[in-house]
Amino acid sequence: MAWSNAQDRFVGEWKDGVAFYVYPTRRFKTVTIHATWIRDLSTVDRSKGATLAQVMRQGTRSWPTRQLMAARLEDLYGASFRADIAKLGDKQLLSFHITVTNGRFLPGQPDTVREALDFLTQVLDRPYLVDGVFPRTVVEQEKTLVKRQIAAIINDKGQYAMSRLIELVADGQPFGLRKLGTEQEVDQITERDLTTFYQEVHRGAPFVFTVVGDVDADVLYQHVKERWGTSRQEFSAVVPYQGRHQNQTVVEAQDVRQGKLNLAYRTGRTAKSADFPALVMYSGILGGFSHSKLFINVREKASLAYYAYSRVDPALGLLMIGAGIEFNDYQACRSIIEDQVAAMRRGDFTDDELAFTLKAYENDILSEEDSPGQLIGRHLEYLLVGGGHQGPDLIAALAQVTRDDVVNVAQAIDLDTVYFLTSKEVHES
Amino acid sequence: MTHRTSPWELIGEMPVRETLESGLEIVVLPKPGLKRTYATYATHYGSIDSHFRPDGSDAVVDVPDGIAHFLEHKMYEKPQGHDVFERFAELGAYTNAYTEYTSTTFLFSATSAVGECIDTLLRLVEEPYFTHDNVEKEKGIIEQEIRMYLDMPGERLRSNLMHALYQKNPVRLDIAGTVESIRTITPDDLYVCYRTFYHPSNMVIFLAGDVNPDAVIGQIADHERTRQLAPHAAIERIYPQEPAAVAQKRVEQRMPVATPLWMMGYKDDRVGLVGRDLLRRDLTISLMWSLLLGPSAPLFNDLYEEGLINERFSAHYSSATTYGLSQMGGETPDPERLEAVLLQRLGSEPLLPRSFERLKRKEIGEFVALFENLEELAFAFTAFHFRGIDLADVPAVLEDISLAEVEQLRQEHLRDSMRATSIVLPLATNR
Repeated sequence: MAWSNAQDRFVGEWKDGVAFYVYPTRRFKTVTIHATWIRDLSTVDRSKGATLAQVMRQGTRSWPTRQLMAARLEDLYGASFRADIAKLGDKQLLSFHITVTNGRFLPGQPDTVREALDFLTQVLDRPYLVDGVFPRTVVEQEKTLVKRQIAAIINDKGQYAMSRLIELVADGQPFGLRKLGTEQEVDQITERDLTTFYQEVHRGAPFVFTVVGDVDADVLYQHVKERWGTSRQEFSAVVPYQGRHQNQTVVEAQDVRQGKLNLAYRTGRTAKSADFPALVMYSGILGGFSHSKLFINVREKASLAYYAYSRVDPALGLLMIGAGIEFNDYQACRSIIEDQVAAMRRGDFTDDELAFTLKAYENDILSEEDSPGQLIGRHLEYLLVGGGHQGPDLIAALAQVTRDDVVNVAQAIDLDTVYFLTSKEVHES
Repeated sequence: MTHRTSPWELIGEMPVRETLESGLEIVVLPKPGLKRTYATYATHYGSIDSHFRPDGSDAVVDVPDGIAHFLEHKMYEKPQGHDVFERFAELGAYTNAYTEYTSTTFLFSATSAVGECIDTLLRLVEEPYFTHDNVEKEKGIIEQEIRMYLDMPGERLRSNLMHALYQKNPVRLDIAGTVESIRTITPDDLYVCYRTFYHPSNMVIFLAGDVNPDAVIGQIADHERTRQLAPHAAIERIYPQEPAAVAQKRVEQRMPVATPLWMMGYKDDRVGLVGRDLLRRDLTISLMWSLLLGPSAPLFNDLYEEGLINERFSAHYSSATTYGLSQMGGETPDPERLEAVLLQRLGSEPLLPRSFERLKRKEIGEFVALFENLEELAFAFTAFHFRGIDLADVPAVLEDISLAEVEQLRQEHLRDSMRATSIVLPLATNR
């Protein structure tokens, strides 16, 4: 390959289940390396994925304990390393990221990038095993922490309400599954199961490797080919949501001081659809920004909320709306939100709203290019959704969207499910 | 114009500074190749400044708690036809603002029309417009913001700790105030605070992006000249004397959480430092916490292996000229046991020279990396500025700190009389 002269763009390929993409640039003071294994989300092994990510940061053969790994990262000028679980549509992503300060800016100019790559490689390929399996004490310790993390979902009410909404929409389909699984699933994992699971994933799961920073793409390509280049499973794109509900409304009560109102709409489009850019514009005009209809009408005019927003899930083709409100304002707030959706359907938005939204997206999308993490995130999403536009290309596509295009997508937007989290006292009275 | 430029060769940064006649400070950091320009306009005025003597007045003024944050919201209000939210939207720029204990910051982030965005930011901060109706209208919005925080366990944990640590210092109060306190705010209150604290000699502009620094400074200087403001006399802020004992040793609250949250703090009674002295104290105590409870520390490891903490457990020191405190905490199944182990070991844990050198290296690496995150950089710059600290001093001061100094500060800082604990427990029915 000859990518050595590439600058300020992703170069790479997706072949035999391995996606290799590098964004060489001199804009940043750090280098970020990101490796992800992709799994279909299922109740059979999602908790193993969650536990594995935790266990893998507890030791490698070179640095057999969590403490030694932490010291190693400090030695690497405070490199930050994370292993975590994310979800996109019906996929579970096991991600490992390391960000290191480029040695060019450090006393003595150490080769921190090579050492960071070595660290990540050790984590992926050479975990610390005893008699061929993950140490039982470590596995049990991390299972306990994963169970606590699962239970902690109730701590963040906004996130909890959104996750309940998705569950209700999915109604048993995989995209509604929580990414960490259940406490019961975690309980059943043994160190042997987890080791077998690691070996399967390590050998065969679709693998995405992305790097942003001042690096040589050809050198990295050799490394990836040698280490992880053997044939892996092909990745299957995320399955979009097919509508099931008409105005399903669910109200639940907890001990809270503020109500959370969340609505899900079917859009019939995903990032791959030709007119997806029109849907992005639609969501921006409705609730993407502080000039948008939801913010202006729910917050600025009616003073009903501190936040009110909408966003599109590009993989599932769902439009989600959220607002934090007074319990008694449920009806009032829901009506204002539904009025705004109806206004969009009638084409009741100004040319200014359209123009401001385009500019706001342009600002957001260009700004992503100043953040290595966001560059990687959006490229990963682009790969997993299986097409569409990203970056400057998406800006160009958004600029082509006409008022009629927006009105056209607005016709297909249907209310699926409403979820309201309220207080126990209000609910019972 | 005399631009003072600091030597930043190693990390490849060249900030340009200017102080205008009105007292306004401007710092521009050129970032060639970045798409975005990020600018903040900040006043050295935060939630703790509710008791002061306005310029040229003999009377001391008392304003309702939460007014600095309320004022931040209301600065976006302009007469019909002059809306700044709309203007930023028209320019395709993002704008936001935040209030802290000692400062209030307005910002924009833009990838085009930087000159117009600068003008709009100046107008946002320099043209107050408060009426009875627009003040009343904001109360509902801020009430929802406050209620949102009331449902956040981490926020309650911190807020309760501050109430427990401090008897008098207004850092004990929530930055946004309370639902009751904000209801009493009037347009007159807002104008008094605005006139006192939003004066150029109490403010600083920080801007980073792919810009020509002289052009940016020139644009702001030309604009400021038209305001014809002379430097202000120093503002007299009145803070109560904080006793050398905590208000409450321990405070507990029950909320719908899965696992208890625990936080412990030590307040610092050595306040009033500024500049390099404050920076040195801040960095020394921060290194102490990394040595004692950073992820590579033996004590952290033992707590982790005992199942008492998770990897997000952390300890850190924060300070301004008017207060300083250490906080540590996280999720734990057994707050009593966690606290007991910590109290037994924090004072006597050996501080190892090898770890000390490693952690200094970590600090240097993170200092360099700070310059690529414009939000964090602007935040750090402004916080340091209002404390009389030059960001450029960090590497040298860090290098100069000795392990003996860390040990000495540990003995001084970890005093039982200055310690309090905050706990959020699950609801009884959840157990």
